[in-house]
Parts: sequence; C-alpha cells; structure tokens
Amino acid sequence: MNFFELVAQLAQGLVSTVVVTLVCSGTGMAVGLTVAGLRRMGYARVVPFLDGFTYIFRGVPVLVLLFLVYFGLPSVGIKVGPLLAMALSLGLIAGAYLAEVFRGALDSVEASEILAAEAMGMSRFQILTSIEFPQMLRLAVPGMINEFTSILKYSPFAYTVGIAEITKQAMTLTATTLRGIEIYLAVGVLYFLIYRILLAGVHYLEKRYQVPGLGTT
Amino acid sequence: MALIRIRNLVKQFGNHTVLDGVNLDLQKGEMKVVMGPSGCGKSTLLRCINRLVEPTSGTILVRDQDIMGAEVDVRALRQSIGFVFQQFALYRHLTVLGNVMLGLRKLRGMSRAEAEAQALFQLNHLEMADHRDKYPSQISGGQKQRVAIARALAMDPAVVVFDEPTSALDPVMVREVADLFNRLNREGVTLLCVTHDLALASQIANRVLFLDQGVIRADDTLENLAKHHPNDQVRAFFGEKEGRS
Repeated sequence: MNFFELVAQLAQGLVSTVVVTLVCSGTGMAVGLTVAGLRRMGYARVVPFLDGFTYIFRGVPVLVLLFLVYFGLPSVGIKVGPLLAMALSLGLIAGAYLAEVFRGALDSVEASEILAAEAMGMSRFQILTSIEFPQMLRLAVPGMINEFTSILKYSPFAYTVGIAEITKQAMTLTATTLRGIEIYLAVGVLYFLIYRILLAGVHYLEKRYQVPGLGTT
Repeated sequence: MALIRIRNLVKQFGNHTVLDGVNLDLQKGEMKVVMGPSGCGKSTLLRCINRLVEPTSGTILVRDQDIMGAEVDVRALRQSIGFVFQQFALYRHLTVLGNVMLGLRKLRGMSRAEAEAQALFQLNHLEMADHRDKYPSQISGGQKQRVAIARALAMDPAVVVFDEPTSALDPVMVREVADLFNRLNREGVTLLCVTHDLALASQIANRVLFLDQGVIRADDTLENLAKHHPNDQVRAFFGEKEGRS
C-alpha cells in the first residue's frame, strides 16, 4: 500500500469528520447567536442564566462533557446518539465561546444606528435581526474562524463515541499495517486540507457579504 | 388643532433638571426652529416627543392624543414622527436604497418591489437616486443627510424633526440645507428643527424659540432677539450673527 492508497483509505473517514465539524459549528452558531441575542435584548432575568452557561461551558473539557452526555445520560434513561452527543458537548462549548465573540462584536455596532432604528419604530427584536446581527457577523469573522478551526481540531473526539472519522480510520489502519508515521502524517495532511477548504469557504462568504466601511478587511 | 402640543414638560436626569416646564405648539405645515446653547435640552426635548426619552412630568399631545397614556402604541407613535439625527445614523451595512427600504419592508410590510418603488421615489425627490447602490461610507455628509431625510419621509410621517442638521456638515452647506428645508416645507412637510446655527435659522424661519436652562425664554424674531431682548445673554447669543457676517 503506497502513501496515496493510505490517504484514500483514510479519506473514508473524511465525510464523518466534515459532518461532525459542520454539525458542531451549526450548533455553536445557533447557541452563540441565541445567547448573545438574549443578552442584547436586555432581559435582566435571563442574564444570570446566560452568564452561568458561558461560565460553565467554557470551563469544561470537551471530552469530559462528551462522556457525560454519551455515557452518563443513559444511566438516567436518556439515550443520546453519537452525533447528537457531539452537538451537545463540542457544539455547546463552541456556542459558549462564540457567544463571547458575538458579544464583543455587538459592542462595536454603533449605538446611534440602534437609536435611529428605535426612533423609526422598530421593535427590539427587529433591530437585533435587521441591524445588529448583520453588522456584528461581519465584524466577528476572525473570531468565528478561530472557533470553527477549534471545532475541526476537536472533532477526533468523535471516535470515542463510535463515529468512524479520520482519526478512527487511522488507528484501525495503523493496527493492521503498523505504518504509524506515514498514516498519521497523512492524517495531518488531510486535516490541513479540510482547514484550508473551510477557510476558503468562510473567506468566500466574507467577500460575498463585504460592505465598504464595515468589517475587518 | 396643533399637530404637537407640549405643556409644562419636565425632564430630570437624577437631580439634574434638563427641561423645566417647556411649552410648545407645532401646527400642521409649519416649520419651527428651536435654538439654544449646547446642553440647553434641545435634543432631550425632541426625544421626549417620540418617547426615546421618558418625560418626568407634563403632557405632550400629538394629533390630540396624549402620548404618555398607558394605551399608547409607542412604536406606532414613532412611525408617525420622522427623526433625522445629528450624525444621520445611516445603517452602515445597507446601501442607500436599503436604508430607505428597511422601514417600509419591516414596519409597513411592503413587498420588495413596492418598497423599492417607494424608496426610489423619495430618493429621486431628494436627488439621491443615482447613489442608490452606494454604502454610507461612500457618500458625503450632505448626501447622508439627504438619505436620512428620504428614509424619514418614506414612512409618510406627520412631522419630521431635525436634531442639529448642520453641525456635522461643512459651513458652506448651510445654504443648501436651508433651501432644502424651505422646499420641503413648501411641499407641505411639517418640520421641527433644533439648532444653534444662526445662519441656518435666519434662512428658514422668521421667528425662533429660544430654549435656555430648560425653559423657552423667548419666542420672537431673530432681529428682536438680537437687538431688543432685555437679557444680555440672549442678545449675545443672537448677536453672534452680525459678528460673523
């Protein structure tokens, strides 16, 4: 088996790695936007819960939370599939980090524009979705790229709950061929390629929605 | 029937009294100018009218409706009052056209085509249709102001209020702003403008209200205020014009 055949074997795990990364990124985005949005809406009563959520989920290791969800919850009668377990661990942790990224970016939205929207008669929620989020997302791109990259690099944990992603394939291959150096080198190359594609995708979106005078570029 | 009738309006921020019993009437079709030194409460007065700031006491009637009432729909009230801010506050992520369309889409529930037609009509009216696809960072201050005015007028408000319309513009723009205000007023738009720009005031109004230390100290012609007002400070404030020209 030459190097390229090894890569081809490993690539069978590629789909799983990409799916795990996308599912956890999607969960993270939804959770991050919800948490940052609720905080921004200024409901004083939910703020302690939001603080509690980010405080806890930023401090817990991904693997511990993953095991808690996947191996712990069944003991109280809740059975969670592997992909959902990833979303509820890595996805929620990413959400906590993204919520903080979004909070910072929301602070950069001009207060005068929010006031103008209020003066126009828009509701708080309309202002959030029509003014604050569209501007904030453009400002938050660097922080979002960091977080998506982290998610990709944490995705190998999925093998511990039985998802046959790239790292799992590598372990199986290594066990049968004993060619660890080449195999893990190939694994590194594959992750690097996924990372570059992910980056290109984000940059494409960034350019597509770029507005003169707003954002980091 | 006055479009806006303000009686005994008081606004306190903590111990600090910003408005201390303001009375003001604005008739439909009128163009009224309120002048006064910085910090006299001009902006606060405007913001009370659409309840961006909650008055401490007093009454404000808009089209004979007490806007402080519990049953008042604040968002509907705000939609009936066009607000043009000092720095214009255009939405940075939207084009000129998008800025004017937003309220029509979100608040009037218009379809994209309807909103675009209405927005283009207003932009045309303010000679900004050529710039429809530009973003706020790509146009000048005077152009931003026109877009902000188009954005306000598109909602078909009962009155358009201006907070210091010339302070963010080059001094040479005053003439142009005055011409625009006069034209809009001739076309039937009711305007309420607070400013400390005498050059602007003298070109758009014969009489002005003088707001100082939270009360309307005078309601008179600029000439009388500059020459015959008993208070030295008032004469000094309005005399500035002669010093400049």
